[in-house]
Amino acid sequence: MLDFTSHIAGPYSTKLLADLGARVIKVERPGGDCARRLGPFLGGVQQIERSGTYQFLNTNKESIVIDLKRPSAQELVRRLAARADLVVTGFPPAVAERLGLDYASLSRFTSAPVLSITNFGHGGPYRDYRLSETTLFAMGGEMFSHGLANREPLKLGGTAALLQSGAMAGIAALGAVHARELHGIGQRVEISLFDAQINSTDRRSASILAYRFSGRVQERPAGPASGIAGGIYPVADGYVEVTASFGNYWQRFVDMIDDDALRQPKWLLPQTAMDPAAKEEADGIVYPWMLSHTRQEVWREARRAHAMVAPLFTGRDIFNDPVFRERGLWTELEHATLGRLPMLGRPYVFDRTPWRLRSAAPALGAHTAAILHDLGYSDSEAASLRSEGAAS
Amino acid sequence: MNDYLPLAGVRICDFSAVWAGQSATMYLADMGAECIKVENPFIWNPMTRAASPRLTAAAAAMIPPWMGGHPGGDPGPRPWNNCPAFIHVLRNKKSFTVDSRRPEGLAIVKALIRVSDVLAENLAIGTLEKLGLDDAAIRRERPDIVILHMPAFGRTGEYVEGRGYGSHIDAVAGSTILRGYEDSAPATNVQIFAGDFWAGAHGAIAVLAALRHRRRTGEGQTIELAQVECSAQMFPQAALDAAWNGQEQTSDGNRSIEGFVPNGVFPCRGHDQWIAISCRSDEEWRALVAFMRNPSWTQDLSEATIRAAHQPMIEAHIADWTANRDRDELFHALQQAGVTAGPVMSSKDVAGDPHLAATGAWQSLPATADYPETPFGVPPYRFSRSAVGLRTPPALFGEHNDYVYRELLGVGDDEYAELEAAGHITNTYDPELVARA
Repeated sequence: MLDFTSHIAGPYSTKLLADLGARVIKVERPGGDCARRLGPFLGGVQQIERSGTYQFLNTNKESIVIDLKRPSAQELVRRLAARADLVVTGFPPAVAERLGLDYASLSRFTSAPVLSITNFGHGGPYRDYRLSETTLFAMGGEMFSHGLANREPLKLGGTAALLQSGAMAGIAALGAVHARELHGIGQRVEISLFDAQINSTDRRSASILAYRFSGRVQERPAGPASGIAGGIYPVADGYVEVTASFGNYWQRFVDMIDDDALRQPKWLLPQTAMDPAAKEEADGIVYPWMLSHTRQEVWREARRAHAMVAPLFTGRDIFNDPVFRERGLWTELEHATLGRLPMLGRPYVFDRTPWRLRSAAPALGAHTAAILHDLGYSDSEAASLRSEGAAS
Repeated sequence: MNDYLPLAGVRICDFSAVWAGQSATMYLADMGAECIKVENPFIWNPMTRAASPRLTAAAAAMIPPWMGGHPGGDPGPRPWNNCPAFIHVLRNKKSFTVDSRRPEGLAIVKALIRVSDVLAENLAIGTLEKLGLDDAAIRRERPDIVILHMPAFGRTGEYVEGRGYGSHIDAVAGSTILRGYEDSAPATNVQIFAGDFWAGAHGAIAVLAALRHRRRTGEGQTIELAQVECSAQMFPQAALDAAWNGQEQTSDGNRSIEGFVPNGVFPCRGHDQWIAISCRSDEEWRALVAFMRNPSWTQDLSEATIRAAHQPMIEAHIADWTANRDRDELFHALQQAGVTAGPVMSSKDVAGDPHLAATGAWQSLPATADYPETPFGVPPYRFSRSAVGLRTPPALFGEHNDYVYRELLGVGDDEYAELEAAGHITNTYDPELVARA
């Protein structure tokens, strides 16, 4: 795969394929992918080879640095594209055209499918608009209903929306590979981050359809919980998430807490769910129980009772959790200059073709020389590409 | 006519439920797989087709819109065919009914497995095993099948008996702790289901990869996607900060993890109108300052690192400035000035958005007995040659019984009549189950 993407969404889509065995040649601009400047940095030292964001997103890839604006870079890109099974770009449409890396130009020298990942697509009034994690989630239709009614809408943590859109692009990439191998065709494949948010699961499609069906708009709720029990409760060492308000989930919740006062039939009456005094009475039993147990103790009881209750983990919990460790959520990478480092491991377990970390994210331009050689550039031609600043 | 579908010829026996599983198989159906949803008319699978099989208009009105917003506010006699939370993950699929707990029903399911390339499920741990369909039994019917399991917390290890929906998976995956107001305890967080979206996409990717291996080698395999482990990858910055530096990241409200200042959501004129603004560079900050006509408070804030030390002050000034402005005018004006901005769009805003309308994000589907003609979202990926798109409307319950039983499995008229009389073949849930709901 020939990968022209940078930042977060595009590189996540190509990481998914790289981690499953694809050879991904990542073309970086001089100075490197902007994700190299994003934290967390190993030891807090801001340096382009120490970025956690970059290291996560670029495992198993090779890095070649090309200044796409240089005339002699064109032949280099042509040779790379001609040998690719899939080309992935992340340029805004106007930039792709300017660089000659739009589909019309690329398809002149490769029969491979070209996946173009853009902010807002290749047409329409927002085509050339800018986008960030926060504006993407805001426009995606879910932020409006996330948070509390009397406060501002809330984003997700980290860069979740960009990564989600990257995952959707990963589906498109593999679809393009299948179509090529099954039907022998290349084609233009496009996905916009905006579309990936709008028309996807996670309340978005549902809320839009609900509006079209009923005219009802999904708004932010006044408070986190509804019914007798539900939402987030404080426990001895943190918080737990609870669903107990419908189906047989109340019974399981009661089994978890194991207090006879909650076993009375009155709790199952529909009017009880609406009664603030009943809620107060239940809280009088539930809160003390919660506060006298740790997250792991609550979760153990919840698993016994099959209650819909789970602890709020932090990044540190996820790193230290012995069950996740034993199952293999974490792996280690061997980095040429940073040494051995923990890295998030497989998102899925394949019993025949396992997810595998073959190499850490590449140092900037680490593979330039080898790739130029592979492409048939002689040493002197490679040297002149370097002296012209086309490759480094 | 060749429609060049990437998964032409692939059939999925689909036991998936809720959103994570059902969206995974939807993406595969988008790519051309024939996805056959196995539905049991005697079992109500929660959070899979509607809030309840029996739902009055008054009851639906008490349920939040994304779940309770049935057509015209009235679910009618078949809420499972028009719940907005679920029919959107049924596009491009087929549905057939069978009570797989009875021997003749299980025989039908096994016959379907024999002609399937993929089996997908995310039922509670042990559900398929109870039916007698553990992996070995499935492989006896179809040795080269690709099996996708999507358990919440894994099929091995101490958390195997954990139960949960998206919100519980978000909690353990580290999502919930990172998405609250910076000045409030996490107990005020409302539920969200980012993990369903995420796990669904990854389930599809895993199957796409396994099918490629199968086409090249003839070998099937089993995939285990523990939704919580998958979702933990949605927050790599927090996980790696903990792993590398021992740092515990918490929520910072709407501020940016990428160091953008300002980055947030600001009020606009009117009720519940908000605009998101990110200055992704010092250049964008200068563009914002110029656009605001250089107010005095912006002096000496040209560098992001300096602005980072004054975030509350900057945010308060911007909120003052946006408060009496029209959200959409400001959105376009800021974008044209070179500032990253976007309206916080409600479902109504999205439905009326001119860009989405202009770029073909919707496709009107004809009326059925259960919903009127309605624009539905199309898949986000657009292929120039492969017919990857909204090809068939959401599968109604039991809509494809005739196709599956007669055409695909070759069931004859007599057997069909027997199975129908025994309640396997139907387009409605069992009346007793409905009455009990």
